[in-house]
Amino acid sequence: MIKTLRLSFALKNTYRVNSILYSIKQIPLLKRIIPEGVYHIRGFKLFANVLSVIWEILTVFLGKLLYFLLMIVGAASLYSLPAESQGQVFLHLLLVLTLIGAVMNTYMFNPTKDKYYAMILLGMNAREYALTNYFYAIGKVLVGFLLCSFLFGKGAGLTWWQCLLIPFFVAGAKLMVAAAELRDYEKNGNVGNENKLNKLIWWIIAVFLAVAYGLPALGILLPVKVSVTAMCFFVAGGLISVKKVIAFRDYRAMYQELLAGSMMQMDPSAQAKLQREASNKLISADTDIASSKKGFEYLNELFIKRHQKILWKSTKKITYVSMAVIAAVLLGFVLMPELKEGVNGVLLLYLPYFVFVMYMINRGTGFTRALFVNCDHSLLTYPFYKQPKFILKLFKIRLREIIKVNLLPASVIGAGLSLLLYASGGTDNPWNYIVLFVSIAALSVFFSVHYLTIYYLLQPYNAGTEIKSGTYQLIMWLTYMVCYMMIRIKMSTVVFGIMTIVFCLLYSVIACALVYKFAPRTFKIRT
Amino acid sequence: MKFCIEHLIKSYEKKQVLKDIDYAFEDGKIYGLLGRNGAGKTTLFNCLNGDIRYDSGKIYLEEEQQTRNVLPEDIGYVLSTPTVPEFMTGREFLKFFLDIHEDSIVEPKTIDEYFEYMGIETEDRDRLLKNYSHGMKNKMQMLVNIISKPNVLLLDEPLTSLDVVVAEEMKQLLRNLKEGRVIIVSTHIMDLALDLCDEIVLLSHGELERVDKEELDNREFKEKIIAALREDGND
Repeated sequence: MIKTLRLSFALKNTYRVNSILYSIKQIPLLKRIIPEGVYHIRGFKLFANVLSVIWEILTVFLGKLLYFLLMIVGAASLYSLPAESQGQVFLHLLLVLTLIGAVMNTYMFNPTKDKYYAMILLGMNAREYALTNYFYAIGKVLVGFLLCSFLFGKGAGLTWWQCLLIPFFVAGAKLMVAAAELRDYEKNGNVGNENKLNKLIWWIIAVFLAVAYGLPALGILLPVKVSVTAMCFFVAGGLISVKKVIAFRDYRAMYQELLAGSMMQMDPSAQAKLQREASNKLISADTDIASSKKGFEYLNELFIKRHQKILWKSTKKITYVSMAVIAAVLLGFVLMPELKEGVNGVLLLYLPYFVFVMYMINRGTGFTRALFVNCDHSLLTYPFYKQPKFILKLFKIRLREIIKVNLLPASVIGAGLSLLLYASGGTDNPWNYIVLFVSIAALSVFFSVHYLTIYYLLQPYNAGTEIKSGTYQLIMWLTYMVCYMMIRIKMSTVVFGIMTIVFCLLYSVIACALVYKFAPRTFKIRT
Repeated sequence: MKFCIEHLIKSYEKKQVLKDIDYAFEDGKIYGLLGRNGAGKTTLFNCLNGDIRYDSGKIYLEEEQQTRNVLPEDIGYVLSTPTVPEFMTGREFLKFFLDIHEDSIVEPKTIDEYFEYMGIETEDRDRLLKNYSHGMKNKMQMLVNIISKPNVLLLDEPLTSLDVVVAEEMKQLLRNLKEGRVIIVSTHIMDLALDLCDEIVLLSHGELERVDKEELDNREFKEKIIAALREDGND
């Protein structure tokens, strides 16, 4: 038992340490400094080991602290309930949420890598491994919840024995679910998988969520007595279930089945293959599609037409939705004139918010992904395709196309915003109308240029269509963060709009210059 | 014509994969490139094809005592897993390819003649390439590599996943193609190398080394090659 625990720790630690080192190696600048042999350099290993141990300890408390803080105490504070009901709402939320958690977070039925490595790949004794690690996980639950229930429960006015009951109740509920699923496996051969719950369970979860958060809003709370009785019931049930969990013999067979499905997910090339198939499905099978153009224009036209689903069709949908929203607001002005003032203020101050909106509706990432997987992935293996003049020619054509695709909803949104500004009472500075329209269009052009440029300059995919560039992922993440931060900025529309227009123009010019200079060298399949 | 590699070196961090590649390939011959797993065959091909940069060395063509740099269009590279643009039909891909090479293809044939030549059936010509079988994709890839008539044709593990009939067709095709160009075939399969290739070149210790057949019969020749390869694994 102890040996199994020690071994599974060592195993988990090894791959955790290696993943930490691997991730460090993916960071663009560090990549160059850190040597290839990082995996067996003592200093690095020690450092990663320390991180790994800290992580193990954090997992005991961190998740639970957040859970109590956000989902129970935080949520409870949103209801305007008298102080003496704090304990009651605490128990109400905890009871119902725990039942959901018992199904969604079983540990036993979570197909994870460590289980796969240990039981399938390394052939450790499955029953021993499963039980040891399961009870270790339950132990973590007890310790983590004990701390949290005293920390938060006392504050909510629970008695000490109620606080003490909580961890055993949570563990008991988990054990009961596990035992029930094991029985189901024995009887019907169904293998539970907490990541693939069936529809019925999802409905039940939805109902439970409504019970948890909906009832208190209506002023209905489970009486403390009911909660406590239910908790005691689960503690007793949990104790009985321990017997089933230990007596169960078929862990090896059950895990074989459970993990078989997730082995695919662990193999990045298998996953890339799945994604490739998904991308292939985007190709329209419409036999009427044809092109009368020639050369690269021919290639491009066929590509655009056969990828309607992610390009024009989706951009048209966005356009219609935008029109509908604008029309709805206009209608709102007629029905509720007091709306006007608010909207007018928003339009003159919250243009930065639309950076995020434009980010969200841009088709750039989907376009470049499809470009690679369905087109460049194969054509880049042909020498003619890599000739600088052709790379640049196609870049120009593609840039033109993606700008067109993105500009349609952008112009509708831009014009719509100007219209709303006018209809909501207008402005003293007529520049606002122009700036609104032009800056939204400029943003759309910016995103089009941005995605295509980084695609050409970094070409992040390898032959297996996996993303192999840390820099690319970093830029994607930064793009998101910057756009997201814009939500918080409040600035005069004229000022921000002009800044945006200038920035987008400059960026586009510089980006294209960079592509012309570097793409012939950088635009190739990663090895 | 000769396809020459001089003192080509390529390392990944500290590991030198290609130590000193020095070889002159002559036209009209099919070369079988043999090497153990990890010997650097793919790295070498990627260097020759310009997919990765090498650290030092020279690659050039020698025609009538004149040397010149290798241009992308000099090289055809047929990968082991055939890659074709999935969103096009066979006919569209071929039309696109012919459009691009309009000026450089001497005496182009019609699209259907090319299909005929490769044995691609009429009903398959207007299907999307994503629905082609492995063997058919391979034929398409081969076809476009043949049309542009590159001076050097690199084939990475060809024929390994083709059915016996297609594999035999391909072999014959390669034999017909070798006139006037260098064909280099990397493979694991000794019998294929002996059957198809005019010369056997070993990639071991990061260097290229020709194995002379001399007077040996096939069995003795095989043993010689294996002995040479085995030596590579012992260091």
